[in-house]
Amino acid sequence: MSAPTIEAEGLTKFYGRHRGIDEVTFAVAPGEVFGFLGPNGAGKTTTIRALLDLHHPTGGSARLFGLDSQRDSVAIRARLGNLSGDFGFGRQVSGREALRLLARLRGVEGVGRAEALAARFHADLERPLGQLSRGNRQKIGLILATFHEPELLIFDEPTSGLDPLMQEEFLALVAEERERGCTVFVSSHDLDEVQRICDRVGMVREGRLIAVERMVDLLGKAQRKVSVRLANPGSLEDLRALPGVSELSVADGRASFEVAGDFDHVLKALAAHHVTDIEAVHPSLEEVFLGYYREEGEG
Amino acid sequence: MTAQLAALISNHLSDRRRSLLAWGLPLGLMSAFIVAIFPSVEDSISKAVEAYPEGLKEAFGIGQLANVEQYLQAEMLSLIVPLALGYLAVRAVASGLAGGTESGRLDVLLSAPVSRHRLCAAGFLATAIELAAVLAITFLLTMLGSGLAGAGLDAGQAAAGFAAVWPLALLFAGLGVVACAWSLRTSVVTGAVAGVLVAMYVADLIGKLDPGLDWVRYASVFRYYGNAIEDGIDPLAFCGVTLTACALAALGAWLFDHRDISA
Repeated sequence: MSAPTIEAEGLTKFYGRHRGIDEVTFAVAPGEVFGFLGPNGAGKTTTIRALLDLHHPTGGSARLFGLDSQRDSVAIRARLGNLSGDFGFGRQVSGREALRLLARLRGVEGVGRAEALAARFHADLERPLGQLSRGNRQKIGLILATFHEPELLIFDEPTSGLDPLMQEEFLALVAEERERGCTVFVSSHDLDEVQRICDRVGMVREGRLIAVERMVDLLGKAQRKVSVRLANPGSLEDLRALPGVSELSVADGRASFEVAGDFDHVLKALAAHHVTDIEAVHPSLEEVFLGYYREEGEG
Repeated sequence: MTAQLAALISNHLSDRRRSLLAWGLPLGLMSAFIVAIFPSVEDSISKAVEAYPEGLKEAFGIGQLANVEQYLQAEMLSLIVPLALGYLAVRAVASGLAGGTESGRLDVLLSAPVSRHRLCAAGFLATAIELAAVLAITFLLTMLGSGLAGAGLDAGQAAAGFAAVWPLALLFAGLGVVACAWSLRTSVVTGAVAGVLVAMYVADLIGKLDPGLDWVRYASVFRYYGNAIEDGIDPLAFCGVTLTACALAALGAWLFDHRDISA
């Protein structure tokens, strides 16, 4: 097995007495898309800033490409691209001026890929960034992070401000980058986004990494809310006995219940009924966390 | 390595191009006006200055106002230009480092293979160039004013007078880099270093006014500033202050390497 592209070992950052992150340990394999999931203030950005050597850890260490994140940070940064959640570069600077500077700093000759990305994301490279909306600035940041075809992409809440169409385009871009062999580390509080692109996720809460899971396993542990309208709702009592089903209630001809884990046996049980409508609601991030805790408690 | 530094410096200067004119033009026009009116006020000014207390004249470097060079020194080079350029220096450095952090630019630059001390070096060197350019504009406009009014300002002496401001202002650029290692808020950095600038000026003034307090002048860069328009540039003071500015910038870069990047 090849060495991890990112390896954090007991990574800790305190700001005086205030906790940033505490003993965060994880590894990301080459070519993997790794999601870093957590609510706002959980420590996602602090972890990323420690990986990028923007913040110096107060404990532990991080290695990227096998290199020390602090001692070898310049060599590391030559091989990665980074986009923060609220990209900025100064109000008077245009995207093209920023791109030209970044290309010179990286020693990149042609910026043809940047032009292609600008066309793809409908990004305006000519206007000063101060005249662009947050979403349009974010597109410029995305271009600056990816135009040099890095080996590793680190995104911190990358789709904030992007409209739904551009979010789709972003997810497609990540898929293409993975095809190219690029490793992607993406932090988010949006479970839908992470679910669609990530192979594995790390869940961070109050500065601590509480779990690293494969995406499919994480969703399996989450409670999903299901609402079913049946031609004969009174006959749904047989669902109550199914494993993982809870909170079953019937009102106005509609049965509502929660399902944890495998959904297959629920669908098979429902197949015996005349279903006129069904709705399954994705769990929120907090519900995923709660599902995870519940599973751990039962374990 | 050099290409990176050149790219950062030219980018910094490009960002500051408006500021270059915003400072150079008013200072130059004011200075030009001062020398242009000298022929018409020469007599009355000389009489007025004779009535000034000796201590006051020495404190403000007035001495005599017998020629246009002395008048330019008293009106512009003893107070306005050094204070303005010192303030400009810290503003320029702070805009690159602290302002860059506030705008998010530093995050982007530091995602590229650029070391922090190179960023500091670029900010400091770009400021050195900006200061030289503002002084050059001021000098050229001053000479233009003199030429138009027939004031007879000696170009060599005036050049020495303006050139002597450069290391003094550069010292505050060096202090600005140190301050950016302490705080990455433009207002804090600018306020703190501007405070030091004014404190140094006042310390020098107090030392001049009270011979018993002359020792406080050693803590002020203004002690080494002198009166280059009349006495010529003191190479030792010029090089010493320049080297001190560079040493401060190097110290600031080292400290900057050891801090977190966030406003």
